[in-house]
Parts: sequence; C-alpha cells; structure tokens
Amino acid sequence: MVGIDNIFFVVSGLLLFSAASLIIFNHTIYALLSLVSCFLFTSFLMFMLECEFLALLFVAIYSGAIAVLFLFAIMMLESKYMDLNKNILTIPVGLVFFIVLFIPVCLELSYFKTNSLSFKSFGWVLGNLVNWYNLVDSTSDIEVYGQVLYSYFVLHFLIVGLILMLVLVGVVSLTNSFQKNNIRFQQISLKQLSRKK
Amino acid sequence: MILSPQKFSIFTEHFIISSIIYSLIVCTLSVYCSSSLTLQKTLSDCIALTLFLACFMTIDNHLLQLDASSFFDAVINDDLSFFTKILVCFFSFVYFFVISDFLKDQKLTSYEYLLIILLAVLGLIFMCSGNDFLLVYLTIELSSLAFYILASYQKNSNYSVDGGMIYFIIWSLSSAFFLFGGSFLYGFSGVMNFFDYCCLLDRFYMMDAGFWLDFKLEAASWEDLKNYNYINESLSLLNLGFLFILLSLSIKLALAPFHLWSLDVYENSPISSSFFFAVISKLSFFVLVIRIYYICFLGVRKSWQFYFILLGIFSIFIGSFSGLRQRKLKTLLAYSSINHMGYMLLALSTATTEGIMSMLFYMVIYMISGFCFWSILLYLRQKQKNLALKYNKELGDLSLLKLSNKTISYTLLFIVFSMSGIPPLVGFLAKLLILLPLIKVSFYFAAFSIILASFISTFYYIRIVKVANFENGIVGKLYMPLQTKKLFILGYFMFLLIFFFFNPHSLHLMCFKSSFSLLF
Repeated sequence: MVGIDNIFFVVSGLLLFSAASLIIFNHTIYALLSLVSCFLFTSFLMFMLECEFLALLFVAIYSGAIAVLFLFAIMMLESKYMDLNKNILTIPVGLVFFIVLFIPVCLELSYFKTNSLSFKSFGWVLGNLVNWYNLVDSTSDIEVYGQVLYSYFVLHFLIVGLILMLVLVGVVSLTNSFQKNNIRFQQISLKQLSRKK
Repeated sequence: MILSPQKFSIFTEHFIISSIIYSLIVCTLSVYCSSSLTLQKTLSDCIALTLFLACFMTIDNHLLQLDASSFFDAVINDDLSFFTKILVCFFSFVYFFVISDFLKDQKLTSYEYLLIILLAVLGLIFMCSGNDFLLVYLTIELSSLAFYILASYQKNSNYSVDGGMIYFIIWSLSSAFFLFGGSFLYGFSGVMNFFDYCCLLDRFYMMDAGFWLDFKLEAASWEDLKNYNYINESLSLLNLGFLFILLSLSIKLALAPFHLWSLDVYENSPISSSFFFAVISKLSFFVLVIRIYYICFLGVRKSWQFYFILLGIFSIFIGSFSGLRQRKLKTLLAYSSINHMGYMLLALSTATTEGIMSMLFYMVIYMISGFCFWSILLYLRQKQKNLALKYNKELGDLSLLKLSNKTISYTLLFIVFSMSGIPPLVGFLAKLLILLPLIKVSFYFAAFSIILASFISTFYYIRIVKVANFENGIVGKLYMPLQTKKLFILGYFMFLLIFFFFNPHSLHLMCFKSSFSLLF
C-alpha cells in the first residue's frame, strides 16, 4: 500500500536527484530542464503539506517566469562552449565548502533528533504535521495570507512596494540613454541569423 | 483593526515617501515635455528642503517621545531611533545641498539619481527604528538596491559598472547570510520581534549569573535536567544564527576580514555616490548592530563579545597598516573608514551602556569629519581643462594647496587632526570615550591595540597635511573658485569640531539619553 509518507520520500528523493543533476550536467538545456523539474517537485511537496497557494505560486513564478527568462538568456548566448568540464577543480573545492558548511547544520539537527522528547526519528518531518485546515477555521489559504499580510505586515508590504518602485526607476534610468545623436540600434535580421557557430 | 493616529508613528517616513512619489511624477512629466531640460540642481535643492522639513517633523513629533512601538512592535520609537533619525535626515539634507552644483560635472544630470538617493535615505531612516527581523531585512534591501544603482550610475565608465557589480555581488551574498541566520533564529524560537528575543533570553541571563547552576544542582527530577540540556544545546542553534547575522552585518559595514569590496567600490563609483556610502550609510547599520546584539542577545553576550573584539582589532590594524602605502585619496578614506568602524565595534564589544554612548559620540564625530573631507574632495576641481572633470584624486593633487586656497587647506588640516585625534579637536575626546569603557570592563589588550593603531594611522593623516602645506614643489595645482554658500557648510562643521571639544555636553547628553533608552 502506498502511503502518503512514501510518496513524500519518493518526491523529496527525486527533488534531491534533480538538484544534483542541475550541477552535474554540462549542457545548459539539460541543466535548465532539471531546474524546472526541481521547481515542479518542490511545488508537489508544497501541495502535500497543504499549502496550495504557495505551490501554485511556485509553478507560476519559478517555472513559468524564471525558467522562461533563463531559456531566453540561453537562446541569446552561444550554447556550444563545452570546456566547462575542463575546470574540474571546482568540484573538490565545492565539496569542501559543502562539508564545512553542512556538518554544523547536521550536528544542530541531530540534537533535535536525539535529545528532545517529541522529535522521533523522521517524526519531525511528518509525524507532527499540523493540519492547517482545522486550525484556521475553514478560511481558505489565500484568505488567510491576505488577512495576515494586510493586518500584521502592513508596513512590510508597503516597503516591498517601495522596493519594486526603486527597481523600476533604477532599471529605466540605467538602461535608457537620452543622448541626442546616439547611434540607433537597428535589427538586421540577416546579420542576426548568420552568426558564427 | 483600524490604524489609529496614536499608533501611526512614522510621519517622517510617510512625508518622505509622498514627496518621492510626487517629485517622480512631476519630474517625469516635465522632462517628457521638453527632453533637454536638466532638473538636477533644482531638484537637489528641493530634496534638501524636503529632508530639512523631515528633520523638523521628527523633532516636532511628540508621539515619538511616548516611547511607544507601533505596527505590532515592528517599529519602535525610543530615543535611539529619534536621535539617529535626526542625524541621518540632517546629514543627508546637507549632502543634497552640497552636491547640487557638482552633479553636472560628473555627468549625472538625470533626476532619477537624486530620487534613488532619497529612497536610500528612506531605507536608512526605516532601519533606525526597525524592531523586527523581517522589517529590518526589507529596509536593508531597500537601501542596498539603491546603493547598487548609485554605484553603477555612470554608464559610460567601465570602472563605475565594475564597482556596481562588485557591490551587488558582495552585498547580495551578505543579505543571503542575513536571511540564513534569521531562519536559524526563527527555527530556534519561532519569533521575529526583537522584544520577544529579549524576553526569551532573560532566563539565560540569569543562568549566566549562576542562578541556573543552582537550579541544576537541586534539579527535582530527571525531566527538568533533560529540559535544561535541551535548552542548552538548542542554544548553539541560536549562536549559529546570530553569528551568521554578525557576518552579514560586518560585510555591510566593511569590517576588516570582509573589507575588500569597499576599496574597489569607493574608488570606482562616482564621487558623490561614494561620499554617500562612506559617510551617511554607516550609522543605520550600527544602530542595527546595537538593536540586535543589545536588545535581543544581551543575555548570551559571552558568545558574541569575542567575535566583536576579533573583528574590531582586525579592522583597526588593517585600516591603519594598509593605509600607509596608499596614495589614492578615495581608497585612503576607505581605509580610514575601516579603521573608525573598528574603533566603534570595539566600543560596542563592552556590552555596557557606556559602550553605546561612546560609539554614538564617535559616530557623530566621524560623520562630521568624513563629511568635510569628502566635500573638500568634491569641491576641488583643477583649472586645467582636461583635468577639470577628474575626481579620482591622488595625494599629489593636493600639493601646495596652502598657496592656492588657504581656507580649504586650513580646514583640511583641522579635519585631519580631528580624525587622528589630536587634542584641541573633538576627535581626541571621541577616542578617549572609546577607551574608557574598554578599560572599565578590563579589555586591556583591545585598549592597547587601539592606542597602537591610532599611532600608526596618524602617519597617513599627517602626510596629507604635509603634502597640502609643506611640499617642496615649485608648481602647485590651481583650482576653480568656490561659492561662498558652499564654504559656509565647511566652516560650520569645522566650528563644530572645535566647539564640541570645549563644550561636548549637548552631544554627550543626546548620546547618553539614547543609549539609556535601551535599558527600559
């Protein structure tokens, strides 16, 4: 019988696998595909934890917008440089950093597993899962987010809006040039298509 | 919930936000109508007026005196936030007044530049009164996004773009560290407000005083002992959290092992931007350090004091030794700023109220003298045609300044002596105030290294005076004439540097009041 725990573990295993393959693949398209699969598995996990809104947000924003952005960037670049794998030194250095940074985290987490009363092995992943639906008295996900955001985090919300305005103004002023006799960039389709391999 | 006027204590910020949006709309429409219109001088003076009014509003706001926090404790209005808000508003008001004439020479004629600086000031003001990890993170992002744009604003110069990229990469890394540490803290405690951490860690404070030890000996049951062990071990999770936050903040303050970005950024970005980064932006980050480490984690101060001393001693030595060989003035000022940051961090490492007070005093003096030095760099434009736009000065460009412009050279002398801490100026008092609490809590090694490093750094300060006054050259540089109203500011600040030495009580009282407000 396939329980929900087993599905959880299978999906998180797949998530780890696709995250590793994102780093291992040299070809950019494959790496991008594994990135998209990462996002999809994460949103699946979110669905299982009953955060439907966050899950949909993951699909919409990450795999919808950011992956498409990456795809455009790859299309613009020449995708044929394959000498990334010559730089083999990065893998051991990365492993060393990974170990140095990951061991303290594991140690901290192991305290929770061994010493505390309620945290049984892997119980803290699934066993103490609080069903949000019962807690919030049958208001839907988005309603709860809205209520919390607009009542407790008004100022935060306003500052996020200001950050967006700042980024908009900054991007427009950095990329726009108001010089009078600037060279007009024309799209010459023949030149664009006949680029060198 | 209805937001009552008693709870709305961000009038200054509200005023600045509305004026930003209003001037953005007006400027966009007026430039749209006639595209050759350059508004930078008018808008700069206008924004200076706005910030002066904001300063006035902060002083006049009686709600701030109520010491009440608003927005569910996300914004706190104690004397510390009151004092630092006024400082940030006042210095950025003078900053806008000073730069208004020099924007055209730097080819920064677009009005967005000034609005972006104003948004950065807004972020810094919010940061002074932030009392919640999430709000503080957002304000850091608001100001730092503005900084990246300011650093890379000269699009035609490769250096400026390079500086902007370095700034962006390093600071976004440090923001990521802030979030990482914050997530550890949230995992430990489940709260984000600074007050809650204060309440949570009070028991550890008592444990520190030996109270908890007795409890352990008399532990009634095995269950209690187990609980005690659990708390003690999850404390290490807390340690990991606030160490990551300290790492992030020390990158932002350019403290010594993490200072390398600041040299490139200050040298490469346009001078009015690096002026802003070096002088105005530092105060708010120090307020953040005070709030996080003195309000939240005072109970576990044994864990962070060591790192504060380590970072502080590193910074003062690197700031004083590396500056010796430096001939570029902007990089020299960056080293000097690292040096000063080290002094202030050492003052904070004492974990006493006197530490905060002396740090605030030192910060005000640092801002005044740094403001004068950077504005002199901005004022001096050489008369030769091809060099008139050169703002990246070397030490040699100041040679025989005494003969060409006596006022500026004497002002420079006073500022530099105040920075190095020579008695008839207030820099001496500031350094003394740093030393006293360090000796009081018997951190003798730190006090000794402060004295040693300030000896060494005096060399490069005095070399500036020597180059400007007593150089053995025959031909000095000629400079463009200056406006009287701009020199008025220099004269006023120089007067303050002397005045505060003979009468430091007013400033001292403000610093004392704002440091004392943290106790209650």
